Parts: sequence; structure tokens; C-alpha cells
Amino acid sequence: MKQITLQYFAVLREQAGCSEERLETAATTPAELYEEVRVKHGFTLPLSMLRVAVNEEFRDWSSALEANDRVVFIPPVAGG
Amino acid sequence: MQPFSFSSAPIDTARGREALADPACGGYVTFEGWVRDHNEGRAVRRLEYEAYAVLAEREGERIVAEAIAKYGVQHAACVHRIGDLGLGEMAVWVGVSSRHRAEAFAACRYIIDEVKHRVPIWKKEHYVDGDSGWVNCERCAQPGEHASHSAEGTTLAAGGAHGHEHAHAHAAETHGHAAPDFSRQIALPEVGAVGQQRLREGSVLVIGAGGLGVPVLQYLAAAGVGRLGIVDGDVVEASNLHRQPLYGVADIGKAKATVAAARLRQLNPEVTLAVHAERANTGNLADWLARYDLVVDCSDNFATKFAVNDAAVILGKPAVFASVYQYEGQLQVYLPREDWPCLRCLWPEAPRDGLVGNCAQAGVLGPVPAALGAMQAMQALKILLGLPVESAPALHVFDLLGMHWRTLKAARNPACDHSPRDLQTHAIEPAVLELEYPNLAAARASGLTLIDIREPWERAMDDPDAQIEWHLPLSVFLQGSAALPPEGRYLIVCAHGVRSLALAEHLRSLGYPAVYSLVGGLAAVGR
Repeated sequence: MKQITLQYFAVLREQAGCSEERLETAATTPAELYEEVRVKHGFTLPLSMLRVAVNEEFRDWSSALEANDRVVFIPPVAGG
Repeated sequence: MQPFSFSSAPIDTARGREALADPACGGYVTFEGWVRDHNEGRAVRRLEYEAYAVLAEREGERIVAEAIAKYGVQHAACVHRIGDLGLGEMAVWVGVSSRHRAEAFAACRYIIDEVKHRVPIWKKEHYVDGDSGWVNCERCAQPGEHASHSAEGTTLAAGGAHGHEHAHAHAAETHGHAAPDFSRQIALPEVGAVGQQRLREGSVLVIGAGGLGVPVLQYLAAAGVGRLGIVDGDVVEASNLHRQPLYGVADIGKAKATVAAARLRQLNPEVTLAVHAERANTGNLADWLARYDLVVDCSDNFATKFAVNDAAVILGKPAVFASVYQYEGQLQVYLPREDWPCLRCLWPEAPRDGLVGNCAQAGVLGPVPAALGAMQAMQALKILLGLPVESAPALHVFDLLGMHWRTLKAARNPACDHSPRDLQTHAIEPAVLELEYPNLAAARASGLTLIDIREPWERAMDDPDAQIEWHLPLSVFLQGSAALPPEGRYLIVCAHGVRSLALAEHLRSLGYPAVYSLVGGLAAVGR
């Protein structure tokens, strides 16, 4: 288990009810982590519509997560 | 001799005198301005003058013409130095010849005063202590035109009625400026007169004149960008004004692009404007963009954003993208460089419109698109000025409620070939997905079951008698908690037909055989 800081934007923030949280997780990849929080918060967006950034850089969903990583799930936004 | 000119060499006063000589004249008055060794208590070693030449020459010529007309003198001219000047060197020369001396003195005084007040010239003072600093021309050092004249106006008014007239006449003349005064941005070392000229020669295509587009258009026109293209197929609506304050209630129902152009002309009459009062799409974008240096995407839907991306990539033009959602915004710049990611590098699967929300559905506070639009304008100006846009490609994510700004480094996606892809690959033949009816009664008569998927607050404004009975908000669908009998035949209805189309597509992909979307939504059936 490791501590991860998560940040949410747009519709994910609304559905999570917070913009940031710290989580104790066994997830080894961003994909596993998203599945965990998707179930927890009832996120409606599928992973295929999102991008993930770890420590301020875009990453693959299958990249490795380390303790104290800062993870941001970013939905696309179109409002203008 | 030109009525007003700049010289990088010492001013030839003998030549000026010759040019103004006239047998009909009984008087010749000149003024010379010299570089003095102190200013505001600081010892000055030398001076550097810089001018925004195109504008300055025009304004200078106007002043000389005004003096001739006002005082009835025969001839007048003014020469201003630019470049490096040492102590005691002549910085400016004014010459006037006339029949009688009185009007020659007055005209000469008028010209030098007006030149110092109105012509965009900056001087950099190099002090004896090694320090230096840019000092604006007299007018620009004051808070405003009127303030800069108040001292003079008072003195003249004390001198009698004539002086008073002079002060008033001048105030009217300065209101007649042909263009904004760019002195405050030219004073920046990164801009300068050269940068201002670049902006003047620059051109930007702006897609969308809404919450993002309004500040983009205003700041680019105000900065003196020479040519702007405005693309927007919408009309001004009452619900736009809180975040699009370029428009007013009197504009409701008018084409946005046309109204925006009229307002921008008031702001800067020198900017050339092209109005495209139609929606941008893959068919028209490349043709338009080919005529501009760069594009700023201020649209409110993914289809347009990706079409803009593709046109920019194909034509090798920079593109500045932004989007907002409630209190948040995203900003991304595409530069036509081998190592720079495009929109598709970041979002390989072009999102479908309607499923993640836009301003109309999700709500937004006006300053959010204003802040993002201002940043887009900033990025566009940097591109035109040839300044570094950012140290590395990134998606900037702003949360203006929590006040966080994350810069997420983005890289070229090796799987993305930077080539356009059909956005409609997810759609199952849109012609069969969307149905058009003249009114709700006709839609009801079709035998389909109508479902209103608008949010409850949208329905709250309806006439209760005209409401569609079955109400299932899209948010309920997205939570997966709405179950529809799969054998039913449904017509999905929303406000404008965007969300309903997205949901109809979604339900078709889940195996519902007879789900349709009402074209144009309730707005189109004239409830």
C-alpha cells in the first residue's frame, strides 16, 4: 500500500465532491487507480475519454505508480 | 520637405530654413529642443529616442496641418531625432514662416507642445550613475489626455477667452485619434517599436466570439494586430451577456460576428476585420486559416476544436486552444514543430459533444472564460511578437475556484501522425439518428415516445402545459441509473439537439435499435 495524492477536474470534481484527496492504495498503475476511484465515487466517464498526468507529466495508463505520486485525471472540456 | 519627419542624423536647420523661406513671409520662428544634463533631479549623460514611426509620422503631420490651419501661417515643419543623442544635441526642431510674427510664434509653440503631448516617442535616459530608464513622451507620462492638459488649460484660460478656446479645441482634437496609442506596450523591452510593427503586420483567425472569443478579440484589436477574422454562426442571446460583455441587451438576436466587428472598429478603427457569420467546420476552416498567421480556438464544442487542430496541422500554423467548464479552464498551444504535440496527440479519441458538458448545460461564471481568453490573447501576441511561447509543450489546467494552476507537460504522441481523422466514426449514420419535426404535436403524432433529457432547472422555465411528460435528465442517464425498455421507440429531446444526439448515439451503441434525436431540440420546434 502507498499514499497517493489525487486531483480532480471538471465533471470528475463534481462527482467526487472534492478537488483533491489523499488515498492509501494498492494500485500499481493509473488505470488500476482510476478503476478504484471510479467505483468509490461513481464516476460516469470511461477511462478511454480521460488523460492522466503523474507528477505534472502526461503518462500512459499502464505506467508504474510510486508512493507519493501526484495523480491528476483530466477529462476533456469544450466550453467556450 | 516633409511637414513632419524623423532623422537619425543631426538635424540640418539650414535646410529647414531654406524650405520654409517665402518672399511673402515677414517672420520666421524656430524652436530647438536640446538634450539637457538633468531630469527630475537626476544627472543625465545621454538619451536614446525611439518612435512608433508609422503612427508618429501621421500624427506629426496632422499637428503641423492643424497649426497652419489654426494660425494661418504660410509654412511649418518639424523634425524629430531618433537614436542615440549626447548632451547638448538637438532632439527636435520646429520651423514656422508667416506674414507676421505673432502667428508664427503661436504656431511654433502649438506644434512643439502638441508633438510632445501626442506623438508616440519614447526616450531612454542614461544617467551619470550608470542607471537608465525609459521615459514616455510627455503625454504618456500623465494618467490621461485630459490630465496632461489640465495645467496648460488653466494657464491659458487665465489669459482670456482665446486661451480657453484653445484648450477646448485641443481636447476635441485628441478625441479624434485614428487609432489607440500603443505607448504603454511599446515601452516594454520585448515589444518596442519593432514589435508593434510586427503586430500591425500580423493576422489572427478567431473561432468563436463567445466567452473566450470576446476577450481574445478585444485584446488583439486593442494591441494593434493588423487583421482579425471573426468566425461565429450564433446570434447574441440574453444568456450570453454575463460572460460576453462586448454585447449588450440591444444586440440580442443579432449575429455575434457582425456585432463584435462593429464594437472592435470603435476600439481600433485601423484593424482590418473579416466577418464570417457562420459555423466553422472541416469544409471552410482550412480555406480561411490559409490567409492568417495563426488561429485562436474559442469554440464550445469538440467537433470544431478538432477541425481547427486539423486545419492548423495541415497548414503548419500555430493554434491557441482553450476550453472552460464551470470554474475550470484548459489552455494548450500547438506550434508547427516536429516535436510539438497537437490536440490529437493529447486526446487520441476525439471526445463526442454532449457527454461532458458545456457552458449552457454545466453553468459558468463570466470571469472564468474571460481569464482563459485573456491568456489565449497573451499567447497569440507572443507568437506574433516572436517571443518564446512556453519552455515546453504543456496542457495548463486552471481551477479558479480553488486557485490552482497545474502545468502538465505534454509530449508528441508517437501513435499520432498529426493527421485529421473523421470525427463521425462513432456515429451510426446521423441521417437516421436525427429526426426533424415542425412542432412537438407532430413529433408526438409520430408514434415515438418522447423523452426530455434536460436538467430539472431547464424544465423549470417551461410552460407546464407544454412539457414533455417523460423527464429523464441526462445526468441520471450518465450515472447509469436510468433503465429504458430496449424494445421501445424513443425520440430524445433536449434544448438544442446536441445532448440528445449524443445520448441517442450512445444508446444505439448499447443496442437500442430505435432511438432518435430531435434535430435542433426544443429551440427548433417553436414551443
